Amino acid sequence: MMSKLEENKTYKMNFGPQHPAAHGVLRLVLDMHGEVVKHTDAHIGLLHRGAEKLIEAKTYTQAIPYFDRLDYVAPMNQENAFALAVEKLLGIEAPKRAQYIRVLFAELGRILSHILNITTFALDVGAITPLLWGFEQREVGMEFYERVSGARLHANYIRPGGVHVDMPKGLAKDMYKFADETLPKFIDDLEGLLTDNRIFKQRSVGIGIVSKEKAIEFGFTGPMLRASGVAWDLRKSQPYDAYTDMEFDVPIGTTGDCYARYLVRVEEMLESCKIMKQAINKMPKGDVMVDDHKIAPPNRKDIKTSMEAMITHFKLYSEGYHVPAGETYSVVESPKGEFGVYLVADGSNKPYRCHIRAPGFAHLQALDYMSRDHMLSDLVAILGSLDVVFGEIDR
Amino acid sequence: MNELMGYIAKEQKDAVISNEITFDELVFTVKLNKLHGFIEFLKTDEKCLFSQLVLISGVDYPERKERFDVVYNLLSMKHNQRIRVKVLTKEEVNSISDLYLAAAWYEREAFDMYGIKFKGNKDLRRILTDYDFEGYPLRKDFPLVGFEEIHYSEEKRKIVKTKINLPKEYREFDFMSPWKGNLK
Repeated sequence: MMSKLEENKTYKMNFGPQHPAAHGVLRLVLDMHGEVVKHTDAHIGLLHRGAEKLIEAKTYTQAIPYFDRLDYVAPMNQENAFALAVEKLLGIEAPKRAQYIRVLFAELGRILSHILNITTFALDVGAITPLLWGFEQREVGMEFYERVSGARLHANYIRPGGVHVDMPKGLAKDMYKFADETLPKFIDDLEGLLTDNRIFKQRSVGIGIVSKEKAIEFGFTGPMLRASGVAWDLRKSQPYDAYTDMEFDVPIGTTGDCYARYLVRVEEMLESCKIMKQAINKMPKGDVMVDDHKIAPPNRKDIKTSMEAMITHFKLYSEGYHVPAGETYSVVESPKGEFGVYLVADGSNKPYRCHIRAPGFAHLQALDYMSRDHMLSDLVAILGSLDVVFGEIDR
Repeated sequence: MNELMGYIAKEQKDAVISNEITFDELVFTVKLNKLHGFIEFLKTDEKCLFSQLVLISGVDYPERKERFDVVYNLLSMKHNQRIRVKVLTKEEVNSISDLYLAAAWYEREAFDMYGIKFKGNKDLRRILTDYDFEGYPLRKDFPLVGFEEIHYSEEKRKIVKTKINLPKEYREFDFMSPWKGNLK
């Protein structure tokens, strides 16, 4: 029993930037009343690398790797947003085959990101095994990234105009097998470990509840929003690339707590498997990059024989292509939510302003509201279910 | 989209400076002092219902008198519509954090990066830069490499800031062709 004097005093505690449960570099200054959190002040910016300023100093092709490094668990989704923005300003459209490849890799990225989020969330609440099983599957996914682009993580593959090179032979078959057999079996095992687990449910049901209205107010998007009951998915409402051709369902939660978010993400992984299989089956043959050599580099064989191709290649990789003046805001449904790029071009070869809208930024803002009157360990669970990646929040 | 544009332009004709549809996106430029009322209208009016604030950005045009552009991107889930609202300002804008809870951190970021002050934002402090950082990084007159560099000093046993000293100059490549490019 606390005396009257001590009733309203809170104790400031630091949940430091170096913490196994802080999911990156996050500093939280907590006002605690015993074990209960009264107020959270998030100090972000510890991973601020000045990406937006640097992008303003680089050409459009040189700027693409910055997008890889934003949400570094599912890199190709971010490149997709930038590619869509630049294509809008240039007035071109990626060829059909490139669109299907983009959808395929976007869904693979979604699976990779959800695996990471669910297994690290489970780790934060105490389950160690899902992490080890899940990362084995992520290795398979990253092997696909490597086969198509050369790099396991930062692919630099999706470019304005399409994708860089075509998929190598045999990759589509392996990816089909992954989406058809390997991954659903893994999700089955994962659900067997977590979904009906008494401890997991006690740690996540009823924690961090966000109502529908509050979720919209706070700017939630993606699985966070859908777990609170709002039926909104950009792949269905504002489709881009080849999503109009894909048949899939969008899981919606009802309760808006951490458990609902976990379930929504698991179901989304299964839906992503469906979309991957459809994308592989329906993929048309053709070019993967737009034909216009003012934007897309010419074939390497041509460079060795044709003078024009060599000059175009040189000009493209040194000066870069000029994007006519204009501004646009392009969004994609990234695994974390709505990832957008607000691009202002001024007619030169460098972007004038490129503002990156990271879904985690809006979600982290709501941490204070969500963790009020919860205990410290619940704060850890909420942070895990928020799916924050500091690469995109801090840029 | 055209009807919606016409409707908003008519209802709020004393606030709107210009409006257009570019690349299938609705863009409104609004007077600085009427911003709050305009956004409140967008949030509450039946035909608009822009319930979600998506992004607040700043853009710097140093050669203009009102050098900053503050851009608000809003989303209406009910009508599946996006809208962009721009205001031109020299340094101050009214905050919309009382209308949208999500605005708080976005305004802090615009303040941190550009120095645009948001009147009415109860917690306007830096968010992305270091704790005692001086200057506004994304302004066009702030150099890419900044003004200071930090290193750990063995004698003082702490991190010290010194004026930036890059021994190798930043290589600025000017690839524009001489008959087309920036001839200054």
